[in-house]
Amino acid sequence: MNAIERVGDYSRLMWKTFSKPDSWKMFGKQYVRELHKQGINSLPIVCIISVFIGAVICIQMRINTESPFLPSQLTGYATRETMILEFSSAILCLILAGKVGSNIASEIGTMRITEQIDALDIMGVNSANYLILPKILAFVTMIPCLVTFSITTGLLGGFGVALFTEMITPMEYEQGIQYSFLPYSIQYSIEKSLVFAFIVTSIASYYGYTVKGGAREVGKASTNAVVNSSVIILLFDVMLTKLLLS
Amino acid sequence: MIEVKNVNKSFDGKQVLFDISANLLEGHANLIIGQSGSGKTVLMKSVAGIYRIDSGEILYDGRNISQMKSNELNLLRREIGMLFQGSALFDSLTVKDNVMFPLRMFSNKSEEEMEERARFCLERVDLLRALDLYPSEISGGMQKRAAIARAIVLNPKYLFCDEPNSGLDPKTSLLIDRLILEITHEYNITTIINTHDMNSVMEIGENIVFISKGHKSWQGNNTEIYDTGNEDLENLIFASDLYKKIKKAHQMGI
Ligand SMILES: Nc1ncnc2c1ncn2[C@@H]1O[C@H](COP(=O)(O)OP(=O)(O)OP(=O)(O)O)[C@@H](O)[C@H]1O
Ligand SMILES: [Mg+2]
Repeated sequence: MNAIERVGDYSRLMWKTFSKPDSWKMFGKQYVRELHKQGINSLPIVCIISVFIGAVICIQMRINTESPFLPSQLTGYATRETMILEFSSAILCLILAGKVGSNIASEIGTMRITEQIDALDIMGVNSANYLILPKILAFVTMIPCLVTFSITTGLLGGFGVALFTEMITPMEYEQGIQYSFLPYSIQYSIEKSLVFAFIVTSIASYYGYTVKGGAREVGKASTNAVVNSSVIILLFDVMLTKLLLS
Repeated sequence: MIEVKNVNKSFDGKQVLFDISANLLEGHANLIIGQSGSGKTVLMKSVAGIYRIDSGEILYDGRNISQMKSNELNLLRREIGMLFQGSALFDSLTVKDNVMFPLRMFSNKSEEEMEERARFCLERVDLLRALDLYPSEISGGMQKRAAIARAIVLNPKYLFCDEPNSGLDPKTSLLIDRLILEITHEYNITTIINTHDMNSVMEIGENIVFISKGHKSWQGNNTEIYDTGNEDLENLIFASDLYKKIKKAHQMGI
């Protein structure tokens, strides 16, 4: 299948997905389940990664900007900007493409090869709508929380460095992370992440839904989902940054 | 009754079904038999409307499935129950929730009424004790029975069973076959069963369609099957020594 056919196929699947659910009650149930699975269950990994990256950025900034001519607030400032502008939206979504994306692709792919999707279709259920819509909406709902959580824990990671090392005082760090703060950057970060969340879940669903064959193909679909959604996230990252910031 | 008329089906240029015509009778078990790879599953999924056919007609009591709009097709699908080759139970749901799934999706009944109906169907397949287990926690035979319960929960007029006894021991196979036949007669369902199990053929073959390499090559019932003069069919059914002996005994009138 060539790229254009793929895009057509993907669009058709999304068209089928975004329609009125057969039963709102069942949709609600699935939605809550996905909120939990994709949102709450991602908190630990988001927390761990953000704390460490926040700490590492803080240390490296300090080492590279240690000079009497540069203000000591620079470290905190740079940590904050890196976390908000890039790490907590784009990089976080790349990481979650690995967790959430591969999970979705393999779950739907397994349902495809074990004929569970056929079983839904034969009952007259819109299988794409029933399986995919709750996943996309749940992740898009949860991503602003995850982004905010990542920014917060990242800054705390940096604060840990200030607290437990001699490199920078907590006072300087605090001043730094408050220095010349633009609330719009948070909005920009969340707007970007909403797009990325849609990309991750819809592409993973597409690869899972269109699996043909057996367990090997499910594995391949899951890899394809992660690789392709990562590349597309990066492409959109460049475009959105150009559009939203300049 | 389902009438299949001159159905052709191919995948990516490779033809799988060639000009198949057959009548599938109401209130009877209609068997589709044939070697592995002969196209049984494809025929069943085409008749059930999961695959789109290239040409030909499929009539459900006179209603042509390929001319239906998608909402008509969805209504028809609620009259269809299907048992898949691998059971296809939803593995994130318990047995009870699996059986209740079609009700939750399509009926306006109260939770109690739905539960009662699900229990009734599970009782019918003798599975009440597995109510709260997950599909991965029960045996293959129990999975098949749970899938039967799910397939009949909405009182289908048409029941499709793709190899209902693949991977089961002879005794359990027989139980499943008899269960399907009983349900078929009890509720006057048009039942279509794919199988390559010759026990089933002899036991419940009221109307047998033999598919060979995508062509229909014989149709009849389980007494006529002894003298068909059809070489492919004889090769399939009487492949084992045991069945050769049974055939001989039958011809000698024992
Ligand atoms: N979705 C599909 N895409 C392409 N080819 C297919 C598809 N499904 C089936 N086929 C081909 O159609 C032929 C018939 O397959 P089918 O599954 O109907 O066999 P079967 O009679 O059900 O066999 P078995 O008894 O092993 O289940 C096979 O050659 C198979 O490769
Ligand atoms: Mg088959």
